[in-house]
Amino acid sequence: MHNIWLIAKREYLERVRTKAFILTTVLIPLLMGGGIIVSVVTQGRQTASSRIAVVSPDQQLVTDLQTELQNSNDAKITVDVISPGDSTTRATLDHMLADKQIDGYLWITPASAPGVRPTFSYTPRSASGGHLTESVLRSALRTVLMRERLAHQGMVASDVTALMQPVEVDTTQAGKNADTTSSFVTTAILFFLMYFVIMLYGMNVARSIIEEKTSRVFEVLLATITSEEIMAGKMIGVGAVGLTQVFIWLFTAILLTSTAIVQSMAGGNLHIALSAAEVIFFFVFFVLGFLLYASIAAALGAMTNSEQELQQLNMVLVLPLAACFFATGVVAANPNSALSVILSLIPFMTPLIMYLRISMVMPPIWQVALSIVLMLVTIYAVLWVASRIYRVGILMYGKKPSLPEILRWLKYS
Amino acid sequence: MPIVELQHVRKAYDTKIAVEDLSFCIEPGSMFGLLGPNGSGKTSSIRMMIGITVPDSGAISLFDQPFTRKSLHRVGYLPEERGLYKKMKVIDQLIFLGQLHGLDAATASRRAHEWCERVDITPAIHKKTEELSKGMQQKIQFVAALLHEPELIIMDEPFSGLDPVNATVLQDILVELRQAGRTVLFSTHRMDQVEKLCDNICLIHNGHLVLSGSMREIKAHYPRNRVEMVFEGDTGFLQHPSIEDAKLYSGRADIKLHTVDGVPPDAQPLLADAIRRGTRIIRFEVKEPTLEEIFIEKVTESANNGGGKVHA
Repeated sequence: MHNIWLIAKREYLERVRTKAFILTTVLIPLLMGGGIIVSVVTQGRQTASSRIAVVSPDQQLVTDLQTELQNSNDAKITVDVISPGDSTTRATLDHMLADKQIDGYLWITPASAPGVRPTFSYTPRSASGGHLTESVLRSALRTVLMRERLAHQGMVASDVTALMQPVEVDTTQAGKNADTTSSFVTTAILFFLMYFVIMLYGMNVARSIIEEKTSRVFEVLLATITSEEIMAGKMIGVGAVGLTQVFIWLFTAILLTSTAIVQSMAGGNLHIALSAAEVIFFFVFFVLGFLLYASIAAALGAMTNSEQELQQLNMVLVLPLAACFFATGVVAANPNSALSVILSLIPFMTPLIMYLRISMVMPPIWQVALSIVLMLVTIYAVLWVASRIYRVGILMYGKKPSLPEILRWLKYS
Repeated sequence: MPIVELQHVRKAYDTKIAVEDLSFCIEPGSMFGLLGPNGSGKTSSIRMMIGITVPDSGAISLFDQPFTRKSLHRVGYLPEERGLYKKMKVIDQLIFLGQLHGLDAATASRRAHEWCERVDITPAIHKKTEELSKGMQQKIQFVAALLHEPELIIMDEPFSGLDPVNATVLQDILVELRQAGRTVLFSTHRMDQVEKLCDNICLIHNGHLVLSGSMREIKAHYPRNRVEMVFEGDTGFLQHPSIEDAKLYSGRADIKLHTVDGVPPDAQPLLADAIRRGTRIIRFEVKEPTLEEIFIEKVTESANNGGGKVHA
């Protein structure tokens, strides 16, 4: 254990100190954060300067609308009331639009008969900019009209307000079965994180093994410790670097999303419901998934002698990962079918598929436990094979081994 | 009680036999030379001694017990090719390797500094390995093998690629360690180094043992039938009937005399002949054959016998 720790520590410290690591760690969140800030700032300016005119002979309706819009949380809109409009109003407003004094105007034509809705026409300054304002306007109008109608029916003002209160749905509870989008979003995040980290750091495990082979350091190492210890140490060390980076990024992302600007920008649309159990499973499967794929990468590194050879075998890592991603559709459609259960128990698919099932409908606990045990066993087995290949492969450098040769190596000691 | 013992060890790789029926033992506190031309199986033998590979058959014991990885903490190993992390600082590297051998960081650091001082690489201690010359790297590797004060020091070609000054520094250290009671085994294809440094040797060729034993015994086994001459003038004495073979260099000759029934020949007549011819003698030395000559003789002998096993 001590030796594994030493190897892992060296690997970790040497990598974390490199300029490349510091650069990617700092630059990527900066780029992401910068992008978000830029979009928030541009969007923010548009909503802040929103100023519209409302034209209607119905004094009451216009004032209600003005209050409703100005109290709105979604956008900041200043409303100029023109009531009633005359024949020159439209020309004046068009002129103001052109001068950019207002962002748009709403023209309300009163109903021709009682009980019929008035007609509304909204003219924004530019077709692109008025989107947000228009949707806010529409919902405000609906509220105002409904309130007016209810009052007409003889309802007391306080009752109307109570009735018009928006409905709060506790998504963390209610969203569980019904809302598969949030499961999909977290599974997709898990997929991309895993894909990214495996491609970057799984390959780094392989690369660092190749480096040790070309620099012949392995000979010094093998004179004191076993190849199993080297393999495990490398995987843990390089893996920890990847995890460090991902955690730094996740932390920055959480910080960013929790800040007010981003919240205001995203509105309620980006709401992801996650229970504590799901968060724990997310990390458990992420770490196990990484270890499994990294152990395969270690085996690849043990088999090859150069970066080029490694690139050719790259597919071995990507294919199972891609297969799981395609399987997500089947599993999401019926998370408890026999097929879904089998898929989620295949170690190479467990991290994504089992997580998807957990986030949709909690599967029986024995299945979750079994999948984790299977993964651990596979990781151990792959590492054992990798260390065998490493041990024998390093002494027979020069040519690429064939499959029968690799099988024979497993029998060597 | 031998510190290293090989019994009928055999190791074959896919295409060739690296070592065949190799047996020898190394006594504690001695300096042992493993000799042989390139590709003769020196490195394969050493790798089996430190458990990087396992023999196909035969037995290896270290410290008077069958090989276990536990014994490796008492062994210092210098591989044939430099095995250092290119981008790691020298001092970090040494501490890391020391820790792998069971030292704590503080002890490893202290000893690393002492040794670097000793082999004169202190200025490079905070540099990355890739920035250093081959000779410097060799010294670092050398130090790394000694940090944990091993009882048994195994070095594969320790002097290759070093200039004479640095080679001497390392040689002196090895001699000193031997005097301090450590056991040193090193392999080389340079016979002259072995003659000077080793108490015991083992000569291998094509994976077979050609010759082994103490340096003195081996030498004593051979008659004093070599003459080294440094001279000026007439070279006619080279035709003298007592000469079996002679190599003439400028102002120097290496001469092999006829040996009759293992009795060392008398060199006096040759000297007399040279003086009679008026040759000015600067040096005339009668001696045993060099290890190199013995080796060549043995190998040719074994080739003539069909390349099989040779008994010394």
